[in-house]
Amino acid sequence: MIHDSEDATDPPAGLDPTDLRRLAEWRSQDILFCIARAPGDPRLLVGSSDFGVDALDPTADKPQRQRFAGTGHHSYVTGLAIAGGQLISGSYDRQLIWWDLETGQQRRVQTAHDRWIRRLIASPDGKRLYSVADDMTCRVWDAASGESLATLRGHATETPHGYPSMLYAVAVSPDGRWLAAGDRVGHVAVWDTETFQQVATLEAPTMYTWDPRARRHSIGGIRSLAFSPAGTELAVGGIGKIGNIDHLQGPARVEIFRWREGERLQELEDETRKGLVEQMVWMPDGKRLLTVGGDHKGFLTFYDVGSGELLHQEGTGGHLHGVAIARDWQTLAVAGHQSIAEWTLQPPEEEA
Amino acid sequence: MHRQRTDLGSPPATVSRRQLLGAAAVGSTVAAADMNRLSLFSQSGLAGEIARGDKSVILLWLAGGASQLETWDPKPGRSTGGPFAKIQTSVPGIEISELLPKMSQRLNETAIIRSLNTKIADHGGGYALMDTGRRSEPGVEFPHLGAIIAHELAQRESQVPDHIEMYTSTEGRRKGAAGFLGARYNPMFLTDSMMPDNIQRLEAISDADHADRASLQQFLSQRFSRDVPHPAVDSHNAAYGRVRGLMASDYLFDVDREPQSMRDHYGPTQFGQQCLVARRLVEAGVPFVKVARAWWDSHGQNFETHRELCADLDHVMAALLDDLKQRGLLDKTLVVTMGEFGRTPKINGSLGRDHFASAWSCTLSGCGIRGGSVYGKTDEDGQTVIEGETGAGDLFATIFAALGIDHTKEYMLGSRPIPIADFDSFPIREILA
Repeated sequence: MIHDSEDATDPPAGLDPTDLRRLAEWRSQDILFCIARAPGDPRLLVGSSDFGVDALDPTADKPQRQRFAGTGHHSYVTGLAIAGGQLISGSYDRQLIWWDLETGQQRRVQTAHDRWIRRLIASPDGKRLYSVADDMTCRVWDAASGESLATLRGHATETPHGYPSMLYAVAVSPDGRWLAAGDRVGHVAVWDTETFQQVATLEAPTMYTWDPRARRHSIGGIRSLAFSPAGTELAVGGIGKIGNIDHLQGPARVEIFRWREGERLQELEDETRKGLVEQMVWMPDGKRLLTVGGDHKGFLTFYDVGSGELLHQEGTGGHLHGVAIARDWQTLAVAGHQSIAEWTLQPPEEEA
Repeated sequence: MHRQRTDLGSPPATVSRRQLLGAAAVGSTVAAADMNRLSLFSQSGLAGEIARGDKSVILLWLAGGASQLETWDPKPGRSTGGPFAKIQTSVPGIEISELLPKMSQRLNETAIIRSLNTKIADHGGGYALMDTGRRSEPGVEFPHLGAIIAHELAQRESQVPDHIEMYTSTEGRRKGAAGFLGARYNPMFLTDSMMPDNIQRLEAISDADHADRASLQQFLSQRFSRDVPHPAVDSHNAAYGRVRGLMASDYLFDVDREPQSMRDHYGPTQFGQQCLVARRLVEAGVPFVKVARAWWDSHGQNFETHRELCADLDHVMAALLDDLKQRGLLDKTLVVTMGEFGRTPKINGSLGRDHFASAWSCTLSGCGIRGGSVYGKTDEDGQTVIEGETGAGDLFATIFAALGIDHTKEYMLGSRPIPIADFDSFPIREILA
């Protein structure tokens, strides 16, 4: 997720993925499923497996996580969005919670879905929220009032094999016009955010592995979506086919679509660092893509979208669930299994 | 402790209980029986044996190891608890995972054991332990649960198979064995289809021809027996009758004979249809049916896996209990859920749980069980058993006790007594009716 930063400069030309290096890491016992950063605020905001929402200020002398106050969530916190100066969190407990960023106080609690909320994002103008959940709906919210504006349906509630499906991923185009959601079996629906009409569907069935013989259940799913800066291409992230579905031992997989035409432009698979592609961010030039995710361990991987070349990759000790990137691309904050870390693309000499 | 003995003679497992009971029924041949057989009759109580004959077990084998935290022993709010909530059941004070909403409303028929500590956390070793009730021992082939139940509960005159296992997935597929009880109690093992292979009558032989052949075989064998009484003839007759019975049992495996509404009741999954077959089998008098539902070995994506598999388990188990109850079979049928072990409280980097045998759960429903009960307790993180530690032998003793089988009974393997429940195992009286 790229965060608006009122005081940020445009990203510098010549961003080089090979400059990626870690600045700091903060270890913990919990699992961080999502991360966000508010404009003009150095704090990293994370959602945790301990049901809490925390802030960590990397600029402090001894950075420590501070818990947002209130009754909070009752299950894993899996989505964070910044909109209208507020922090909104979504959780497996089916609730959205609005928090005051200044005071850390809980402002509003709203039951939003009938099943787990998997992801929450804000529209580029911060006026709307989009949430996806395992009730297989994508819901549209007024970010300020919490009013429900639409419930978008475009995903089957059951897999082809009769089991409950899951709706993991949601993305909105940079101009705010198009909204996409991706599910467990590799189906993507795209809606017009003005009319709420479904305008396209895409299929990425390789993301879903059903084992009909040995283990008789499934694994995988589309875990991340990202529109290109121009909004014409859609990156679909997940995992490729898995032989032994006991583990996440499948290739990290990305498919690039020219979504209006339904044309698949690229199929990228990484067998070196395997697992789920949990989040993707296009670099400002619209030619390169950052992916984060993992299996037991994690990765940050840059691809050249045009050629499909893997440009640069860094491994991490634990699975990464989310990334928050400042608009100036000076810092990338990642959250994952028992860790928050801050990375930079700034060349060492410039930093000095 | 007094233990009741069933002598198996020497070599082991060469004399079957059915043959012994057959010898008793013939009367005049009792005199020809050896002392081992006589000791069986004097100590076990033939009337009691026959009285138990209408009881059955359906074992729902959760192959690969289901998570106790996502099923019967949830710990929401703890770092080990995972994302699922717990829900109130139909029994005040008992809560289970929200992944089992249908079973939560049927807990009156079910006892939960939350304190299994079976220590062996590899698939092969865990399977051997949980399917025999004791640790493996070099040189001794212990019978598996199904074989013991078949040995103890099968009716002599039954025309249906008495030990059936269904395991259609390939991962972790292991066939139960009768061990020293003898091949007679090995399972009919169904892997590729729900219909047994090679039991259909050859098309070239009409049913009338087949019946005629059986009559001729019976006539000849009876005439032979009059002239030359010998247990081998009884055995041959029993085997022939058993084959006839198996061939005539093919309809039991055909779910198309059930109304569509009943098939819908069990749902579309293979596990559901297999459990419907299991009900048909126990209704016809089969004493032991194992239905394996693989594969729960969720080292990665434990919560997604359990969301899928628990939906299947919840629906099918609830459907099975309802169906058995409605038919008046639940009082005579013990439904057991277990696997080779549970799963680690610790959640790994792939959001998975690994093998864990130190504090896990199983359930017993129906026959002989005090429904709505929970036995044992784990600590707040589910890491250790803090009350009512239960081993595999205790679970077996409880299963036997629920079925009215004396858990202190012993088989004699040569001169060595082998209790049907492992030494120092005791039934959990708190969950018995």
